Amino acid sequence: MNRPRLKLGSHLVSGLAAVALFVVLAAVFLTAPFGDPAGLVAEGSVTAAIGYALIDRTGLAAFETEGFLVALLVVGVVLDAALDGALLLAKSESGGRIVTALRTGTGDDSRTDGGDRETGRSDGGGE
Amino acid sequence: MVPIQYYLLLSASVFCIGLFGVLTRNNALLFLMSVELMLTGANINLVAFSAQTGTLTGQVFSLFVIALAAAEVAIGVGIVLALVRNFEGVDVTRATTMRW
Amino acid sequence: MAAFDYAPAIAVLPLASFVIALVAGRYMPKGGAFAGILATGGSLVLSAWMAFAVAGGDTYNESLYTFVDAGEELSLHLGVLIDPLSAMMLVIVSLVAFLVHVFSLGYMNDEGETGLPRYYAGLGLFSASMLGFVLADNLFMAFMFFEMVGLCSWLLIGFWFRDAAPPSAAKKAFLVTRFGDYFFLVGVVAVFATFGTAAFAGAESFPTIAEEALAGGSEGAGGAAVTTFFGLDPGAWFAVIALLILGGVIGKSAQFPLHTWLPDAMEGPTPVSALIHAATMVAAGVYLVARIYGFYALLPTVLAVVAFVGGFTALFAATMALVKNEIKQVLAYSTISQYGYMMLALGAGGYVAATFHLMTHAFFKALLFLGAGAVIIAMHHGEDMWEMGGLRKKMPVTYWTFLAGSLALAGIFPFAGFWSKDEVLYEALVHGLNDPLLLGAYAMGLAAVFVTGFYTFRMVVLTFHGKPRSDVARDPHGVGWNVKFPLVVLGALAVVAGFLNMAPVAELTGLHVDYLHQWFVGPLEATSLETYEGLIEERAGYEAAELSPLLPAAVSLALALAGAGLAVVLYRGAEPTEHTDRLGSAKRVLASNYYQDEYQVWLAEGLTARVARAADTFDQGIIDGVVNGTGSVSLLSGSRVRRIQTGVVSNYAALLTLGLVALLVVLGVTGGWF
Repeated sequence: MNRPRLKLGSHLVSGLAAVALFVVLAAVFLTAPFGDPAGLVAEGSVTAAIGYALIDRTGLAAFETEGFLVALLVVGVVLDAALDGALLLAKSESGGRIVTALRTGTGDDSRTDGGDRETGRSDGGGE
Repeated sequence: MVPIQYYLLLSASVFCIGLFGVLTRNNALLFLMSVELMLTGANINLVAFSAQTGTLTGQVFSLFVIALAAAEVAIGVGIVLALVRNFEGVDVTRATTMRW
Repeated sequence: MAAFDYAPAIAVLPLASFVIALVAGRYMPKGGAFAGILATGGSLVLSAWMAFAVAGGDTYNESLYTFVDAGEELSLHLGVLIDPLSAMMLVIVSLVAFLVHVFSLGYMNDEGETGLPRYYAGLGLFSASMLGFVLADNLFMAFMFFEMVGLCSWLLIGFWFRDAAPPSAAKKAFLVTRFGDYFFLVGVVAVFATFGTAAFAGAESFPTIAEEALAGGSEGAGGAAVTTFFGLDPGAWFAVIALLILGGVIGKSAQFPLHTWLPDAMEGPTPVSALIHAATMVAAGVYLVARIYGFYALLPTVLAVVAFVGGFTALFAATMALVKNEIKQVLAYSTISQYGYMMLALGAGGYVAATFHLMTHAFFKALLFLGAGAVIIAMHHGEDMWEMGGLRKKMPVTYWTFLAGSLALAGIFPFAGFWSKDEVLYEALVHGLNDPLLLGAYAMGLAAVFVTGFYTFRMVVLTFHGKPRSDVARDPHGVGWNVKFPLVVLGALAVVAGFLNMAPVAELTGLHVDYLHQWFVGPLEATSLETYEGLIEERAGYEAAELSPLLPAAVSLALALAGAGLAVVLYRGAEPTEHTDRLGSAKRVLASNYYQDEYQVWLAEGLTARVARAADTFDQGIIDGVVNGTGSVSLLSGSRVRRIQTGVVSNYAALLTLGLVALLVVLGVTGGWF
């Protein structure tokens, strides 16, 4: 009796909002005229073109595109910030001492009084 | 060629399934998965319109969305950890201290 | 003309003394009195210079400083107008102010009063305000100084603010005159709105424009540009304006029914009473009417109202003076009565008579008040006449000068009051023979002559004759030169000022001794006597009956003598008795001032306060209720709606989704997507 079961109940009522959204979107999509798709018809590599687009070399791309260098850098910074944020959120204060994921090595042990090595090293790991 | 309406319906379906999960589940980890589904729906949409217009911009954008999804998961997992620590579990309905 | 360049200094000098007394008064000898004396003395010299220049045929009408200059529409400015009327008034005001300053040395300094710098600062500002008012060349400036005069009267009447009565009297004076001033203020605005100017004299002055408008209206041609309101024709609208201005005049000149502040104002120091009654505050009202007489002369209805109010007040106030026991109260009611005569004269078309009486009254009433002040010093600040008696031998200078003033007040030949009062009555009679309303006013004025004679001599006899009726009166306090000097100067003027304008003598003998008439046949056409006389005949339709001045003069003199004689007979002897009880119930009515105060208090408390309370209820209940209701509705709905913020993330997400759905549906329906 370990197999998953479908759990039905009143908590599904709010899901009706999602169903309603789907209905509206479907109604819009099905009634809207879109015309024929243009398609990626040119000769050349799509992947290479994407790479060129990311570093603003649109002239080398086989397909029509735009430069995205700034966006690439911004996303890089955002990812880095997200990682730092995740670490910040994940650290905890237990017993009045800050427990973080950034503690590594034995250098920390000399500073702590050694009574909680497990805690100190439990999340330990390099970046 | 496949008419774009099919892609759009697919995209809307994936998005709404994700949204359904967000609305009906209490588990924070399931929340994260549902959000991934919604982002995937958006990606399908972007790629579909890339083919529709014949430009690559939509595809490049979907790459960025994937990157941001990774960032979002990083933050999300951090939040889940904080949730576990402060509310003793991953039930999002318990964390109601920031209300009226 | 060099003389007129110094004209503003007449008002600025006392203003400077105000500042000096206020700032440095406590470090100066006599509490800053000498600054005031020097300043008003300087004003007197300058005023006399102005008068000589005017006598030489010059006038001056310049604007000095402009507040607001909106071109043709509106111009608010300070200016100086010097013509025979203002020159005469300047001399009177600065003379009386000067003498009052000197007298104050005896009344205030020698009596060891405290707060003298404040007192002299008030006197200086009072003199400056009145002189500025006299100098004013337009109604706006006149209004400003009119209000300043009211403020200064408040300051000075309430000088002894530690007692209960003076602050109350000061407030009353301020509020009652302010009630009249509201009308005046509306009148000033109406003048600006109607004529676009408020200048007194010159081609662009509002009396001139009004005259042209009325002339144009009657001939159906052109006329000057005036704006009337409420659909009234120019004549009726001008009458409304004139009555509005008259409201301020009635308040300041203490005419019925706004006279009630004046007797209470006796709570102030006696020199201040002299200044208020003789030359400044009360005179301001009558002076204002005389100043814009070219406007009033156009409107026979308003003139009749002025005359009737004046005649009625003259008699009404005089009867109240009959039963008063305090020397200053008697004088207060006589002031009201005498200003009633001036209003009667103005209303009857007797411009010269009114200004003549204004001048003689300034001299003899200042004299009487200063004399009363001397008596009060002697009586150690007692004012009850029944406590006095027999002061004649103890203070001869005061007695003789006071007697001169009393004879002038009663109108006994040949003292100043006789000539001026007689001319007032004569003007009222000759014009009144063709106008029953004026004749009624004349009759009341004539009756008041008898009453005036009676109360004046009752006062004199009770104060100075008989035997002393109290210990203080047996051994009165002496008075110094600074009290006697003003008394002697004013006493001399009270005797001779009447000779300035002996109209009856001129009429009889053909000699040109009516100097004041000639003085007013002025060099400035718009404010000259001929213009006014012409207007009175043409516009107001007054006709002078042919009548010898001898008979009316004899009648009024006989009445005055009869009144005075009756008083002497009743109250003479060593131990006079009260006769007021013989009046029976009338005595109570008179002593209560015809219950004027009571009905005005009732008006204020019973009527105005109730209306105000109802308005307050409306304001608190309805207006504030709506405002507060809006607030509480927001509060209540806010406390309900905030429950949406459950803190559960799923609920927020659901709301977001529903909002998106709703938005899409709305956009789809309005945008025609489906």
